[in-house]
Amino acid sequence: MGEEDRVLLETRNLTKDFGKLRAVNSVNLTVKKGDIHAIIGPNGAGKTTFFNLVTGYHAPTGGQVIFKGRDITRFPPHRRCKVGITRSFQITSIFPQLTVYEGVLVGLLCSKGLSLDFLSKAMKFFEREVWEILQAVGLTEHARLQGASLSHGDKKRWELAITLATRPELLLLDEPTCGMSPEETESTMILIRKLAEERGLTILFTEHDMSVVFGIAKRITVFHMGCVIADGDPQSVRASEDVQRVYLGGVA
Amino acid sequence: MGNASDTKEEKVLRRALILIIAVGIGLVMPHVLSPFYLMILSEALIMSIFALSFNLLFGYMGQLSFGQAAFYGLGGYAVAMLITKAHFNFWLSLLAGVLVAAIAGLIVGYFCVRLRGIYFAILTLAFGQLLFVIVYKWHDFTGGDDGIQGVFPPGILTSPKVYYYLIFLAFLGTTYLLWRIVNSPFGYVLKAMRDNPERTEFLGINISRYQLFAFVISAALSGLAGALWAPFYRSVAPFYLMWVKSGEPVMATILGGANTFLGPVVGTFVMTFVHAYVLGFTYFWPVIMGCFILLVIFFLPGGILGFALEKFSTSGRENSGYGRGRQGSSGDKKSD
Repeated sequence: MGEEDRVLLETRNLTKDFGKLRAVNSVNLTVKKGDIHAIIGPNGAGKTTFFNLVTGYHAPTGGQVIFKGRDITRFPPHRRCKVGITRSFQITSIFPQLTVYEGVLVGLLCSKGLSLDFLSKAMKFFEREVWEILQAVGLTEHARLQGASLSHGDKKRWELAITLATRPELLLLDEPTCGMSPEETESTMILIRKLAEERGLTILFTEHDMSVVFGIAKRITVFHMGCVIADGDPQSVRASEDVQRVYLGGVA
Repeated sequence: MGNASDTKEEKVLRRALILIIAVGIGLVMPHVLSPFYLMILSEALIMSIFALSFNLLFGYMGQLSFGQAAFYGLGGYAVAMLITKAHFNFWLSLLAGVLVAAIAGLIVGYFCVRLRGIYFAILTLAFGQLLFVIVYKWHDFTGGDDGIQGVFPPGILTSPKVYYYLIFLAFLGTTYLLWRIVNSPFGYVLKAMRDNPERTEFLGINISRYQLFAFVISAALSGLAGALWAPFYRSVAPFYLMWVKSGEPVMATILGGANTFLGPVVGTFVMTFVHAYVLGFTYFWPVIMGCFILLVIFFLPGGILGFALEKFSTSGRENSGYGRGRQGSSGDKKSD
């Protein structure tokens, strides 16, 4: 029974076609509560599409998405956010005209159900919480900068901060270190692990850089051509022959 | 932004001072201006309400409504018909004008908020023209192209000076209300939607629903502007609903600066007064206005107020030259 309780997210035969291309092919995946779970695979393996199905950005061709025992396959993104799933975007997708502070504030206002308050002064809410989150991701010095003027690495961190502000149970990060220098990558990974521990988050993330993944993930799922070809702890995935063939070893 | 030397108190004090001066000027105007220019000032204030309500959608939500005049016109027609045909109480007529515009906004908005960008603009234009044609053709009910004449306000309000104070009060009230709204949590959600609707949806926001709320607020206030105008001008005509009228707040907002709260007011004042002045010696007003807009777009890209704030202000960041901030808002349509 204990095993069942720990399942936070489950997909059953999740499938997505784009025309004749089957981008995600009957994927069964379970994410356990408290895990840092990585999805890896070469470019075009279907990682981001799978993400988009879980967060409701795309509607699946077939299959189900179950979150905390509840079928959310037909939920639009904003309802999935309300039940506790949130995501970051691979191509940094932020608010160019809001300041760093305001972006995090908006996330908090939305998650705490104040978004329909028409007359109060927004700036008076959650000052402590905003600074706390900015401190957690290391953006306090840039609090008054506008989104458009941030560096790439800072945009990624801001994105993470906004995502945290929505107080998720399950956090989906789409290539959180994409486009970062090795140093930035390492510090981001340390940050993600720290946040997961401190806030009791469950994290599902995609990555194509293997070295990043093995350092942090407790569980790894390998995608290839839209299918899951391996699933397990880092050692067993590294040992898998299929994975060696398509990913670690080079050309099949 | 860099120098935070402006403390909070100084900022509040400076704002209060500007406000007191502005209200003071507004109060003495009827005793200073000639009747002609008092009329122009009244018109500018009414059109400012109209432009401010338009800019809630344009500058703060990032959607261009090109059918806003329909709500302005419906507000005016509701008041005109209630006063002339039903001999309704003036104040209740004003309220009815706002309500009619809000209900129309709810119906039109229900369809429009599903769309974004140019599609939203075209659909609002189409609905606006539809309402215009209904008013224009339905002769028995609306008076058709004759419009409605003899819309008199009651008692002392027939004096332009007194009516001016009513308009001034409505202008202050609307401005205050909109100021509260754009700085409220809801206002911040609007700004987030403007910057990046996809991202905002992943904060748990139902985009269509929030855009509809803003659309109804904007329509209601546009209706208030029309409702105030009809008894002031003593008549209404179908062209108040027409797309040409919808273009006025668009131009005024671009002229004044869409990224500043009071930009639409500045733009409206410049347009209305230059219009009145130029008409004194030439009929080619649209040519002059066209050149004017061109000059502003090329040399003052943030609008008059946007440009002035950027040049002379040490604080304030709404006036940055990022234009409409559309960059980087494409979400991640490309997968993997």
